[in-house]
Amino acid sequence: MKKIFSQFIDVYLREFRLVSKDMGLILFFVFLPLAYPIIYSLIYNTEVVRDVPLVVIDHDRTARSREMTRMLDATQEAWVIGYANDLPEARRAMAQQDAFAILEIPEGFERNIGREEQAKAVMYCDMTLLLRYRGFLVAATNVMQNMSSDITIERIDNIAPLATTVAQGDPMPISNISMGNIENGFDSFIMPGVIVLILQQAVILAIGMAGGAKRERPELIGYNPVNDTKSVAVTMLAQMGCYITILIVPVIFLLHYVPLIFAFPMAGNNLEIFAFIMPMILASCGVGFMLQGVVRERESVFVIWVVTSVIFLFLSGLTWPRYAMGPVWTLISDLVPATWGVEGFIRMNTNGASLAQVQPCYIALWIQAVVYLALGYAVQRWVVRPAIRRTAAARNSINAATQTQQSGETVLNDNA
Amino acid sequence: MNDNVQHNTGFWAVARRSLLQIVRRPIYWVGFFVLPLFCFILLSTLMSEGLPVKVPAAIVDKDGTALSRNLSNTLAGMQMVDVQYTPDSYTEARHLMQEGKIFGYFLIPENYESELLGGRAPEITFYTNMTYFVPASLLFKTFKATALYTKAGIAVNVINSVGVNADPTAMLQPVSITTRGIGNPELNYAIYLCNSFAPCVLQLMILLVTCFSLGQEIKYHTSTRLLSMARGSIYRAIAAKLLPQTIIWWVMALFLESWLFKWQGYPVYGSWFWITMSELMFVLACQGFAIFIFGILPNLRLSLSVSALFGILSFSIAAFSFPAQSMYPAIGIFSWLMPIRYNFLIYGNIALNGLPLYYSRVWFAIYIVYMLLPLTVLWRIRREMAQPVYAP
Repeated sequence: MKKIFSQFIDVYLREFRLVSKDMGLILFFVFLPLAYPIIYSLIYNTEVVRDVPLVVIDHDRTARSREMTRMLDATQEAWVIGYANDLPEARRAMAQQDAFAILEIPEGFERNIGREEQAKAVMYCDMTLLLRYRGFLVAATNVMQNMSSDITIERIDNIAPLATTVAQGDPMPISNISMGNIENGFDSFIMPGVIVLILQQAVILAIGMAGGAKRERPELIGYNPVNDTKSVAVTMLAQMGCYITILIVPVIFLLHYVPLIFAFPMAGNNLEIFAFIMPMILASCGVGFMLQGVVRERESVFVIWVVTSVIFLFLSGLTWPRYAMGPVWTLISDLVPATWGVEGFIRMNTNGASLAQVQPCYIALWIQAVVYLALGYAVQRWVVRPAIRRTAAARNSINAATQTQQSGETVLNDNA
Repeated sequence: MNDNVQHNTGFWAVARRSLLQIVRRPIYWVGFFVLPLFCFILLSTLMSEGLPVKVPAAIVDKDGTALSRNLSNTLAGMQMVDVQYTPDSYTEARHLMQEGKIFGYFLIPENYESELLGGRAPEITFYTNMTYFVPASLLFKTFKATALYTKAGIAVNVINSVGVNADPTAMLQPVSITTRGIGNPELNYAIYLCNSFAPCVLQLMILLVTCFSLGQEIKYHTSTRLLSMARGSIYRAIAAKLLPQTIIWWVMALFLESWLFKWQGYPVYGSWFWITMSELMFVLACQGFAIFIFGILPNLRLSLSVSALFGILSFSIAAFSFPAQSMYPAIGIFSWLMPIRYNFLIYGNIALNGLPLYYSRVWFAIYIVYMLLPLTVLWRIRREMAQPVYAP
C-alpha cells in the first residue's frame, strides 16, 4: 500500500515537471481553455442580428404602402436602405450585397384594403445565411400581424360597433415566453455547449500529445522510459491526478467565469455543475489514453484530432436535435462524452435543472468514464508501454552504435 | 533529366519522394481521406430526415372544458409537434423541460372557457426552450399558429353573430407578406450547412496537412536532403513537394463538388465552370495560406497550432451562421482573413443566387493573392530548411 502511494506521488510530481517543460501541453491545458472561449464568445457576443438592409419596390406609392415600409424599417430585424424602381435595380443592390432582401408592394395594395380584399406583398430573401432569413421572416410576420389587426379594428368599428370584445381589445391575448435563453441570443445559445466541447477536446488533445512526446523523444522533455517500472494503473491514476490539478483553474474559468463575463444564462448550482462535469473529464482522460495508442509523435494529434471538434459539435445535438438524427448517428453520438456533457450542462446552466434532473446524462457519463478508462488501461498496458520501451531500447542501441539522434521507429523513411 | 546530373534530383524526383511519403504514412491517409470524407458524410446525412418534425411538447390544460380540449386537439393535430405529456401544473411542465423530455409547453389557464365566452379575455401563454434553437423555433411557430387560428375562429364567430357576413381571410388578415427564399425555396437546412461547413473542413485539413508535411522535413532533418534534391531551389522544393498534395486535394474538392451539386442535387443556378474554378483555386489558396503560416512560424508545433486555431475559428468567424455585418466591427473584419470566406461568398453568388462572374471578380482575385502569399516568406523557409532545428 505504501509502495503504491509513493509510486503515485512520484508519477504525480514527474508529470508536473514534464508538463511544465512542454510548451505544447501548456498550450492545450491553459491557452486552449482560457483563450478559445473568449475568442468565440466575442465573435457571437452581439447575440442578435439587427437592422439587416432591405430594398423596397413600391409600385403602389400610397399612404398604406408607405406605412408598411415604415413599420418594417422600425422592426429590430430589418432596415430599409431605400427604394428601387423595378426588380432588376433591386436585384443589382442584392448582387452587390448592399441589401439582403427585397420587399415588393404591388400596385393596388391600398385599393385592395379599401375593397376588403386581401392586400398581398412579397418579400424575397437572400438564403446564404439562414439567420438573416429568419430575421426577415420575423419582421415580416410582425408587420403583417400589426397592420392587419389595426385595419381589422378600424373596419369592425365602422361596420359593427357592437362587437365590442373584438373591437376594443383582444378576445384572447397570446403571449410567448422564451425559457432558458430568454433573449433568443445566438451567443447564449451556442456558447454553453461549445465551452463543454472545448473542455473535452483540451483534455483529449493534451493527453494525446503527452503520449506522443513520450513515444518519440522522451529525452527532450526529460522522461526516462527505461527506468519507468511503475504499475500502469497507478501511473494512469497519478497522471489523471496531475492533469485534473492543472485543470482546476481552467475548468472554473470555463464553467463559471466565461458565462459570467459574457452574461450567458446562469441558472444552475455551481457545485452540482462541477460534480456533473467530473465524469466527463474522466471519460475524456480515458479517450486521451486510448488516443495515445495511435499517436506516435506529438504533432500528429493536430492532424488526427482537431477536426473532430466539428464532428462532435454536430453530434452533440446542439445545432440539430438528436431526436431528428438517424439511428447510426444517434448511436455514434451516444459514444462521445461531450454529447452528454453538453446536454447536461446546458440543462443545468441554462434551464436551471438540478443534478437529479439530468440523471440519465450523469449516469451515461459515469459509464463512459469507467469503460473508456478500462480501454485506456488496456491500450496503455499492451500498446503504449511496450512501444515506448521498444523505441527507447532501439534508440539506446543506435546511440551506442552510431551516435546519431534518429530513432528506428519514428524516423521518416527517406526513400531516395 | 540531364545525364550529368544525379538521377534522383530535380522536380519529379522531389514529387515522387513526396508521394511516397504520403503513401507510406497512415496519418496522411487519415488526414487526406478518412477525416474529410467522414465529415462530408456526416454533414450530408445528419439532416437526411428533413426538418425535425414532431418536436416533443406538452399541454397544460388547467381548464378541462370542451373549448380547452378542442384547443388541445387542434394543437396535437399539428404536423410539427408531438404532444407527449399532459402535466397538471406549470411546475410539472417546467420539470419535464429541465429534464429534456420536452422543448416547450402550451398553457391553457383556469376558467378559460367561461372567461372567453364572458368576454373577459383569458390569456394563452406558451413557453419554448430557446436553449435549443431549431426545435424551439419550430415549436414557437406551431404554438403561435395554433393560438392564432383559435383566436381567428373566435373572432369569426363573434362577427358572424352580430350579423356581418365577411370573408374571414380578408377580414382577419387584410395584409399579407409572403416570404420567399431565393435559391432555396424549401428552406433546406442541409443545402446551407453542407455548402459552408464541408469546404471549411477541407480548409482545416489542407492547412494542417500542409504545415505537418513541411514541418516534418525540419523535425527529422530531412529538409537538407529535400533542398539538395531540388538542386538548392526553394521554389522547386516547395512546388514539387506540394504538387502531389495539390492533386489529392483537387480530387477531394471535385469529389465534394460533385457530391453536393450532382448527387445531393443542391442548386447551381450559375456557371458550373466558375464553381469548379472556385473549388480548384480554393485548394491552392489554402495551400498558399498554409505555406505562409509555416513561413512566418517555421516550427512544426507552432505552425500546426496556428493552423488549428485559424482552421477551427473559420467555422465561426467566416460568418456562415452569424453574419459578419452583425459582429463587432473589430471582430468582423477578421472574417476576411480566411480563404473559406471567399469560397462561401462565391458559392452564394454563383451557385445559389446565379449571379454572373462580375460580382465575384474580387473574390477570385483574392484567391490569387493567397496563392502569391508564399513568395513573401519562402526565404525564411529556405533558411530554416538549410539548417533545421527541432524545438518541441
